[in-house]
Amino acid sequence: MSVDLRVRLGSLELRNPVMTASGTFASGREYSPFVDLSRLGAVVTKGVSLEPWPGNASPRIAETPSGMLNSIGLQNPGLDAFIDRDLAWLSTQDVPVIVNVSGQSADEYARIVERLDAQDVVDALELNISCPNVDAGGMAFGTECATAADVTRRCRERTRKPLIVKLSPNVTDIAGIARAVEDAGADAVSLINTLLGMSIDVATFRPRLARVVGGLSGPAIKPIALRMVWQVASAVRVPVIGMGGIAEPSDAVEFLLAGASAVAVGTANFVDPTTTTRVIDGLTEFCDSHGVGRVCELTGALRA
Amino acid sequence: MSGPTPGLTQPPVPVLEHVDVVRNERVAEGVGLLVLEAPRIAARVSPGQFIHLRISTDTQRLLRRPFSVHRVHRGRLEILYQVLGPGTRELSMKMPGQRMDAIGPLGQGWRIPDDVDHALLVAGGLGAAPLGALAEALADRGVAATVALGAPTAERLLARDVFDRFARRIELATDDGSLGHHGFVTQLVEGLIADDEPDVVYVCGPEVMARIVCTQAADAGLPCQVSLERLMACGVGACLSCVVSTTTGLKRACHDGPVFDAEEVLWDAAEVPPRH
Repeated sequence: MSVDLRVRLGSLELRNPVMTASGTFASGREYSPFVDLSRLGAVVTKGVSLEPWPGNASPRIAETPSGMLNSIGLQNPGLDAFIDRDLAWLSTQDVPVIVNVSGQSADEYARIVERLDAQDVVDALELNISCPNVDAGGMAFGTECATAADVTRRCRERTRKPLIVKLSPNVTDIAGIARAVEDAGADAVSLINTLLGMSIDVATFRPRLARVVGGLSGPAIKPIALRMVWQVASAVRVPVIGMGGIAEPSDAVEFLLAGASAVAVGTANFVDPTTTTRVIDGLTEFCDSHGVGRVCELTGALRA
Repeated sequence: MSGPTPGLTQPPVPVLEHVDVVRNERVAEGVGLLVLEAPRIAARVSPGQFIHLRISTDTQRLLRRPFSVHRVHRGRLEILYQVLGPGTRELSMKMPGQRMDAIGPLGQGWRIPDDVDHALLVAGGLGAAPLGALAEALADRGVAATVALGAPTAERLLARDVFDRFARRIELATDDGSLGHHGFVTQLVEGLIADDEPDVVYVCGPEVMARIVCTQAADAGLPCQVSLERLMACGVGACLSCVVSTTTGLKRACHDGPVFDAEEVLWDAAEVPPRH
């Protein structure tokens, strides 16, 4: 049987539910030798800030059991360079573009969204209110309903493009945050971002990361991500994009069953750069062998 | 190597290739030589480039490890590696016939300027790996090479066979005095620059040593290229884990390097950890 992989995220229709996770795929150019971008549901770009951000001191990564820590620090060339170089290149590609936005103030997010709203190549915006690696921004917004809602509202006022808010897992009640951003106008939520973690080198007595604490990603976080997707999907009406440790098609199915309408592949791209297309093909196979005609039928089909 | 002429700034597109172990043997205490059947990568690799090798399919140890390509022969890649952590320990146990996969070739390799007659290669420890590849390429181009090779002990002097074959002159240094100069390879550099009058210096080794050699080259007014090692996640230039501070901003060791012009590198006070 032919399987319909199309999914809808508000007004955004995607050819399949598989996208890339921000920060793991740049804007896609470096992966183009290994991945046919025109097969992807969407490319979600590295977080862009208004001015260039240099990121953190090295070492920026540490391998951990079934995962890794990163404290890249949102290094990016700033909005002007992003528009001139990355968006210009993405305009030549046949894939929906979701631009991830970082900011150190609610005002900064809004200013970025306003400028990106004018860029035709941008199909949707993802607000990174949850990155844990920067002292003065990101993390702070996503840990409180009021600030999360405030950023969302200000950005909502600046664009009619689909607005996705990416949630932080480093909170007590992620469903509460999700409801707050939904009420403030988010068209969808994506989760999870990385979990705060640490690793120590016993040979040197020093942290492996220069910034001591970083964000944990990879298969190790999947159970937490799944739980949170399930909790959030039960709490909001807007579509949920699930991510956290997806490496195989069956991982993606788990997230869909838990309530996600779409998924993102992140760290697994480092391990196997063909993971995204493997997951897409695997979803077709899974649906076919289970007599499921449309992948969107899997969303929330968990029998709990 | 059968890859494109060293000196081009646009390397061929990397591929993901399944690679079979042909041979995996101990060459010194804690150092192995791995030979991989990798015809697609072998056909396009240049000296100084590297492969990003997936050693384990078990997610316990997730990330690939980068290795310079030491030599290429008939569709096979030779890799020299040091057993430093769990990844390389697992690598040391691979048997002929076992399969892994590699992304490569990656990075910018050594550049050989047109007007060079004589090069000085300074290798410390595993730095001999990418410099061995360079020595062969220089010989192909008719450029004379003087090699200064250093290691903690005589046994750990690597790639001597390659340098013997392709270099005009080799000087050795061992920390323990078991062979050659008793001391550091950096102590040989100034004398070799004076004696052999190279046009360019190439260096690879522990960063402390490489930094000194870059300074020595600069003092002698010689252009110098250095290959730097950084922890990597993606290996293809997307994740920004492997950054190097340079005079023109942060660059990616995997994509803009690993070979850098010495004069653009801003040497960090922080130690660079060699392994995960």
